[in-house]
Parts: sequence; C-alpha cells; structure tokens
Amino acid sequence: MRPRGIIRIVTTALLFAVSLAEAGERLSVYTVNYPLQYFAQRIAGEQAEVTLPVPPAIDPAFWQPDVATIANFQQADIILLNGAGYAKWVNRVSLPRRKLVDTSAGFRDRYIHTEGDITHSHGREGDHSHAGTAFTTWLDFTLAVEQARAVAGALSRQRPDSKDIFERNLTALEQDLLDLDRQVQEIVVTNPGKLLLASHPVYQYFRRRYGLNLQSVMWEPEAMPDVAQWSALARLLMEHPAGWMVWEGKPAPESVARLRSMGIGSLVFDPCGNRPGAGDFLSVMQKNIANLRRAYTN
Amino acid sequence: MIDSLYIAWKYLSFNRARTATLVACVTLIAILPLALQLLLAESERQLLSRAESTPLLLGAPGSALDLVMNGLYFDDEVPQLISMMAVESLEASGLAMPIPLYVRFKARRFPIVGTTLDYFDFRALTIAEGRQLAQLGECVIGAEVAARLGITVGDSLLSSPETVFDLAGVYPLKMQVAGVLQRSHTPDDLAVFVDIKTAWVVQGLVHGHEDVTRPQDASVIIERTDANVVANARLVEYTEITTENIDSFHFHGAPGDYPLSAVIAVPDDAKAGTILRGRYLDGDAGYQLVVPETVIDGLLANIFRIKHMLDAVILVVGVATVLALILVFALSIRLRQREIHTVFRIGGSRLTIVRLLAAEIAIIVLFSGLLCMAAIVLVHQYSNELVRTLFIG
Repeated sequence: MRPRGIIRIVTTALLFAVSLAEAGERLSVYTVNYPLQYFAQRIAGEQAEVTLPVPPAIDPAFWQPDVATIANFQQADIILLNGAGYAKWVNRVSLPRRKLVDTSAGFRDRYIHTEGDITHSHGREGDHSHAGTAFTTWLDFTLAVEQARAVAGALSRQRPDSKDIFERNLTALEQDLLDLDRQVQEIVVTNPGKLLLASHPVYQYFRRRYGLNLQSVMWEPEAMPDVAQWSALARLLMEHPAGWMVWEGKPAPESVARLRSMGIGSLVFDPCGNRPGAGDFLSVMQKNIANLRRAYTN
Repeated sequence: MIDSLYIAWKYLSFNRARTATLVACVTLIAILPLALQLLLAESERQLLSRAESTPLLLGAPGSALDLVMNGLYFDDEVPQLISMMAVESLEASGLAMPIPLYVRFKARRFPIVGTTLDYFDFRALTIAEGRQLAQLGECVIGAEVAARLGITVGDSLLSSPETVFDLAGVYPLKMQVAGVLQRSHTPDDLAVFVDIKTAWVVQGLVHGHEDVTRPQDASVIIERTDANVVANARLVEYTEITTENIDSFHFHGAPGDYPLSAVIAVPDDAKAGTILRGRYLDGDAGYQLVVPETVIDGLLANIFRIKHMLDAVILVVGVATVLALILVFALSIRLRQREIHTVFRIGGSRLTIVRLLAAEIAIIVLFSGLLCMAAIVLVHQYSNELVRTLFIG
C-alpha cells in the first residue's frame, strides 16, 4: 500500500475516533416535564441529550416511573426537577442528590400554596393536612425564565467550557419567553376585569402574574361533567358570571355545546406539561395566546 | 546431639502436665505483645483510613468523638440530631457536596444507615448482587449482614423498635432487600443502607395510611367535620411499602425540619474546605464541623498511651514469668538430683547434663514458637473482624 493511502486511512480513523469521543461526551440530562426538556434542549443544543421518559398523553405530574426508568434517572449527569411539589414520585424514589437541580428553588418564597384539603389526625401525631403547592410555575413566563436560568446554571457547572454557548442560547430563550409574557400582558390589559373560568386548578401562577379574574372548577376536558359538577358551576356563575371557560386540553364537544348554550365560550390554554403532538413549547404557547386573545376580543 | 534431644523429648513427654504449663507460659508471654501490636496496627489502619477518606463531618455541638464514631463507624451512641436545614445550608454555600446520614435505628442488630445515593459513590461501594436502591422501603445490605443473616436479594428485613417498652411507638417497617454490596472490609459491610426518606418512614415521620376521608372501616373515625377528620389508632397504617400503597406515603411539615445524625461534607477543593471550616468555627450556627482525621488522631493518641502502659505491664509480667521459669528449671534440677547422679554414674559428663537440659528448653521454646506463630497467623487473618468487634463495635 502507498504511504499516502496509509496516511489517509489513519487520518480517517483518527477523525472517526474524535467524533465518537465527542458524541460520547454529550451530557445526559433527564427532566420531569416537557417545559424543562424544551428549555434544556434550547440551552444545551448539541451538548446534551435531554430525555423526558414520560410516555405521551400522560400528565408527568402524576406519572410513576418503573424501576428501570428510575435507574436511568440515576445514571444521568443532571436531573432537572420542576420543584413546587411537581412530580410527587420524586419523593418516593432514590435519586443522587448531587445531580438534582430544583429549577424553581430560586423563587420558593413565591410558591402558591393550595388550600382546602381536609386536616386529619391519628395515632400520636397532631392535626395535619395534605395541602400542597401549585406547580405549573412555567405558565408565569417570568418564572419560566428563572427556571431556564437554573437549567443553564446546572449545565455550566457540569460543562464549564461550554458556558458561553449556554449563555448565548439562554439569552435567545429568555427573549422568546419574555415575548410571550409581553403578549399576554398586552391582551389582559385590554380588559383587566374580564371574568374567566378554568376547567382545572392549574393556572394559579398564570392568574397571579397577569392579574386574571379566573375561578376554577374540577373538570376533566375529555369527560362530560356530571350533574353535581354542573350544579357547582351554576352556583359559581352566580358569584362569578364568566363568559369563557379555559380548558387545559381539547374539551368534549358535548361540554362545549352545553357551555355555549349557557353563553360560555370555550378556549384551550394547554399548560404543555408533556410533549405536544405537534410543534414545541413555544408554538403551543403562541397558540394558547391566540386562543386567549379570541376571548378578550369577543 | 540427636540422643540428647531424644532423651529430652522422652522426658518432656513423660512429664506432660509440666511441659504443657511451660509451653503455655512461654507462648503467652510471646504472643501478648505481638498480637496487641498487630491489632493496634490494624485498628489504626481501619480508623485512620476511614477518617482520612472523610474530609469533613457536620453535626450538632457536643462530643466530636460520638459524632465521628456514629457517622463513620455507625456506632450505637447517637449524637444529638440536626435537621435537613444543615444539608440545605451546605448546598447553598456552593463549597461542598453534602451527604446526609441518619444512623439511629437497627434491623436485627445491624445499623440502618439512611443516606442518599451519593454515599455509595463517595465510598466507592458497588453492588455485588441485585441492584441499587430505587424506591421507598427498599434496602441495600452490606456483605457481612447478608452472610450473617443468610438473606439475599428479594428477602425482607424488619426494622427493630428503638426500645422494647415503646408499645405505642411506630410499627416496624418491612424493608425489601434490593441489593447486596460488594465486601469492602469497612463498617459498610455491617450496615443496612436505606434512602434517607425510608429512614424517616422507619421513624414514622413519613407514613402511608388508608384515605381518612374514605376509610374501609367507618368506626376508625372518631370525629368528622367539614375541615377535619380525627381517626383512632385502628386506622390502617402501612408497614410495608408496595407498588399498591406507595402513593399514599406522604411527608408532613417542611422538608428542612426532618432529622439527621450527621452530614458528610465533601468540599470542592482544599480552599473551599478551609472556608467552610471557618464558617462553622464559632458554633453560632448550632453545628460543629469536625475533621474526622483529627478526632481519630486524638483517639489513637489515647489508645497508644494505653498501649504504652500495657507494654510496661506486659514487660513486668514477662520478666516475672521468665524468672519463674528459671526458678522452675532450677527447682526441677534439684528435684532431678538422683536422675543426674545416675547419668554421672553411667559415664555421662557435666556437658551431657547441660546438653540434656538445653535440649529440653529448646524443645519447649520451639513448641511455644510454633504455637505463637499459628496464633499470630490466626490473629492476622481475623484482625479486620477482631478490631471491628473489639474496638470499633
């Protein structure tokens, strides 16, 4: 074989080895919901493989991983948690603490605590309740920015050499999120007192940030509410005569029709906790904002 | 020479009791300082290597030795407890990785060590059989625990009540053995590891019970209002965590209030360690941050002071024993006057007598030497376990 041929083979082999090594150096990031997966993907780019192991069409907040999936979480370089009591399974499994990143820890003092659970006592323990914390933090887009910063911080600590790339990508993501924030504010400011209903209590942070006059019921989008639920709505409407119901998912046509007969329109504002069927976090939020705009212009 | 040895051997064989006593005396005198030296060297190695590999230990103010012995060697003496706030404050400092430890409860005499998965990486502990902890209620056991209890992956282990008189205490927790650790020849071999949250379940701080708003047996409810339900002690509290009831396990109160016995702090570098030590120096924070190596050095200094005393005692006893042996031989020569006289009469010289006695002493010393060597080999073989049983506990 000619010397030039040998050099070519050796060079190709070396390049292949280098590319393999680079591919192997990608950070393994596991997340508990889609917004965090989206933020991590945007910030890390090619530097990380970001995994959300929750199957589609399941709410990650109430999902429970199996032992094999827990083992995958344990092997990751970074585990991104939403915090605020999101994904309660995290408290029931063993994960390496040094890999955990609570992305909402920076605004723990601004958590919204939910009330209304029954307190109980038994044994020698005193009264206690299982009241929780509202967890759809990312629907306040300024809090989403803080969560994105926590993600960038965790990536930079793990891969200091790529800090500049992460910072650049974070800036772009921040701009997109703050643009969403501005759009919602512009919509709400046109009619600050507008009364709204929510099908499920998942919009606490959204309501607080944008000053929405919103009351929640406990309906599931895909199920037709029962008689008791319609009665509860009727009682709520006496005090809160809203003209729009905000749904977290596509509502059942019968529910939409009955609400329409009561003079209540329906709009979807998807919290996007899991991967959307089409598009990404940004496009889903843009669609949500377009839906909200419809309610404020009608 | 052979004939002298033969006659000496025959003589010693005939006087078995006397020979055995002499051999025992010489063996004991030789073995005591050697074995003590061996065990002390091993205890020093064990104590120091564990302490050296643990950079800093955070705990409540009080006895630093109790804190280190409990945090590093899982000793029975539980130091004053601290809370998870200590872990959070260490984390917030950004100077060290905190590894919480809650060593308070036992399962069949072995300490239950509540910690996080970081502990296994920190101590380079690997799983020999089964898998790592994954869910609440699981445990990973040390190699020696598995061997002594004869349990393996898939078996279960019950936590023991803190005191037998605690009749109103929490129910024991049935823990599933998820894995067995590779033998490390450290106190980790003798521990039952659980997730820190499982340790709180053992204590009853995290618990699972049937839904009080919809109990199977309505008679467990003593009082019910719109906002409060009071149940009696018959409310079913789960004593084993399964896939069916794991969702019912819940925490009460702030996570920062949950108890710990100590926190291992692994500083990012030497500078971070120094800064950290400075922060906890005044004790205002309600904690003490100790360097385990320093504490163990102090302990070893005391042990070696005692060792020097023991050496002196052994020396005195040894000298006394040697003198006693000389006396025994001198007396035996006097008792054997007739026997020696017979040797003379059959033509034996003075030198022959000396050679006979020397051969007897040589055989006794040889036997003692062999016994001593066998005992030392045995002590050396089991020095690890002996030290852990005798000194570390």
